[in-house]
Amino acid sequence: MPVCPTRAEGQVLDLDTAVKDGVLGGGVGFGGVFAEKLDLNKMIEELDLPDVPSVFICPISLEPMEDPVTLCTGQTYERSNILKWFSLGHFTCPTTMQELWDDSVTPNKTLHQLIHTWFSQKYLQMKKKSEDVQGSVSEILTVLKKVKGQARVQSLKDLRRIVTNHSSARKTVVEKGGVAVLLNLLGPYTSHAIGSEVVSILVNLSLDSPSRLNLKQPAKVSLVVDMLNEGSIETKINCTKLIQILTEEDDFDSDIVSSHGLLVGLMRLVKDKRHPSGNLPGLKLLKSICSHTQVRILIVSIGAVSQLVELLPGMNPECLELALFVLDAVSTVKEGKLALSSCADTIPNMVRILMRVSESCTQLALSILWSICKLSPEEYSSIAVDVGLAAKLLLVIQSGCDPLLKQRSAELLKLCSLNYTDSIFISKCKLTRTIR
Amino acid sequence: MLDTVVQNMGLLCSRHKRGNQATTEENDQAAEIERRIEQETKAEKHIQKLLLLGAGESGKSTIFKQIKLLFQTGFDERELQSYTSVIHANVYQTIKILHDGAKELGLSEAGSSKYELSVDNKEIGEKLSDIGGRLDYPRLTEELVQDILKVWRDPAIQETYARGNELQVPDCADYFMENLQRLSEANYIPTKEDVLHARVRTTGVVETQFSPVGENKKSGEVYRLYDVGGQRNERRKWIHLFDGVTAVIFCAAISEYDQTLFEDENRNRIMETKELFEWVLKQKCFEKTSFMLFLNKFDIFEKKVSKVPLNVCEWFKDYQPVSTGKQEVEHAYEFVKKKFEELYYQNVTCDHQDRVFKIYRTTALDQKLVKKTFKLVDETLRRRNLFEAGLL
Repeated sequence: MPVCPTRAEGQVLDLDTAVKDGVLGGGVGFGGVFAEKLDLNKMIEELDLPDVPSVFICPISLEPMEDPVTLCTGQTYERSNILKWFSLGHFTCPTTMQELWDDSVTPNKTLHQLIHTWFSQKYLQMKKKSEDVQGSVSEILTVLKKVKGQARVQSLKDLRRIVTNHSSARKTVVEKGGVAVLLNLLGPYTSHAIGSEVVSILVNLSLDSPSRLNLKQPAKVSLVVDMLNEGSIETKINCTKLIQILTEEDDFDSDIVSSHGLLVGLMRLVKDKRHPSGNLPGLKLLKSICSHTQVRILIVSIGAVSQLVELLPGMNPECLELALFVLDAVSTVKEGKLALSSCADTIPNMVRILMRVSESCTQLALSILWSICKLSPEEYSSIAVDVGLAAKLLLVIQSGCDPLLKQRSAELLKLCSLNYTDSIFISKCKLTRTIR
Repeated sequence: MLDTVVQNMGLLCSRHKRGNQATTEENDQAAEIERRIEQETKAEKHIQKLLLLGAGESGKSTIFKQIKLLFQTGFDERELQSYTSVIHANVYQTIKILHDGAKELGLSEAGSSKYELSVDNKEIGEKLSDIGGRLDYPRLTEELVQDILKVWRDPAIQETYARGNELQVPDCADYFMENLQRLSEANYIPTKEDVLHARVRTTGVVETQFSPVGENKKSGEVYRLYDVGGQRNERRKWIHLFDGVTAVIFCAAISEYDQTLFEDENRNRIMETKELFEWVLKQKCFEKTSFMLFLNKFDIFEKKVSKVPLNVCEWFKDYQPVSTGKQEVEHAYEFVKKKFEELYYQNVTCDHQDRVFKIYRTTALDQKLVKKTFKLVDETLRRRNLFEAGLL
């Protein structure tokens, strides 16, 4: 005889299936006595599942109930929550809004049992899966130490799959010394096939200091840079992220990143219109490494300045800010100033950015304009004014942004105005009134 | 051009037919020839051309020999034996260079007797120098071996050898001197090692075709490798090979930073290599060609770095050593590598954006290393092919 499924807010708890699955204690292996040993609170927290049946959820807190109690209206709530409701002076049923004729709360033992069993089942499943994961990881690592060639590539692919799908696997790999095994596979004679798989796994793991030091060996860095230049877009992004991790150390040696190959590869990533997912990681790494003067000079020497300037109009705000940061850093060196000023699009693009995107972008664009204008004030400030710089600067000064920013804008405005008589300058500002 | 040939051949055959009432057999033959030409033209397109370039004595021919050993049937006994005369010639040449070099150094350091051979050895030395100057070398007998060893072990010669970089002492010198007894045996057949060390100045072009057999034995790539002479007078012959090249393997012997050219004793070898590399990079025909830079003779470099500072070479004058031992060797190598990388990117324009450029550390004499290195080169070229076909 078919049983009517209890319906509560969209989630159907089908009693037939529930019996079969053993939630109601009728299944194999997950009996009630067994389940009692596991602490419900702990399980709920650890599991953190999004798909808990709605009948198990307290209508007040929207959390799974650990101690469900039922009111005289037949509605069930978490004990502590409903008692709090009462203590605030309400004597109604929160969901039905009915006035309570009886203030007793009855523990809903049946529901408690159901909840406990359901969570226990899920918990044990999870434990089993994670043990499986641990076992698989150990197995793969053992195999990795022995095989070569295609078999090695396949093992690495398996490991990558597990690490990507199970976050618990990542800890396991680290605990079982997997990082050392992986690092050993990287060297001057590592093929692309193997290197790209190793990198794709390493970026998911937390690498300790000795591991990072190991990775900084010149031969390994060269390998990663080569793959950054030659790999698929996923490989390129993974390599970028890995180098990013290496740069996040305090005593970072700039020699490693002062590499033509790296910068050319990063610029290719940033410029890639067919695979825009690489633009942001590329820019992030560029920002991280441009804190070193050597790198700034290199960036200029590979012709990246004009390339970046030309990309600015098409960038989203996040990328734009990073690109501006890099250009601003580059503008602190003589070669950078020259490159920026000799690129025809720099001034117009910078002026356009002012007050258009965000305060930090405005600040950076302003800083770059400063560097250029100071180089040769008459020449560049007149170009800037011609494309509407003065009007923009006035906007900044009148806006609610950082006082320091306003001050700098005022100074730049003054610098630009030095070449003109008052009347001409005012007309260039395209305003009928000026604010001095 | 081949199309024209095929067309004309067809015309020829048909004219012949009209003229002499050709038989079906002749028609069949003509058809067969046409078919073969078509087949070969198709096959040619799949053959990837690899070019070994570099200055003289940079290791090109050694790499060439290694490829033959790795991917072909290697050297048979006849071929090995053919190297005997070359090896003996190398011995005579070496001892002559050292003997004459000792005299030269002795003159330049007047008053010092460091480069004076002992009285007994002086006469022997003159005799050997004489032999070394001939066009035909005598067979290496036991007696001659003893003579050579006496001179080789003379302190004056050892002093001269220590300054070998100022002379044109070949790299194989001490290998052959150490094995002299074996080389002179009556039934001596050179080993693979011996052949790899043997030094002949390549002239003209040598080619070999091979297929690197992969793990799954399915590779399918066919490479044709061209080896050329590296000395200046040979380079004018290079240009004829520059078309349709898949990859240039440029060999640079990094151990030569304190040596001068064979063809010009005032010119530092590394400076020559630098200029040559730049020249090759700028060639229009190599716009899309992959460049594999082999920084060769690492084994000699390793030993030299601790004794001779890198900054004796003008290009490396800003080198600062940071430590000693193995770490220093690595540091020095990275410095040289960066210099070449810098050089490459300075000579790259936007036309070369997509060009593949990789640097490999090699010791051409080590077969295992050459095999590993070539596996990487092969992988890079295969991936490049897939990329160009739009499959990557």
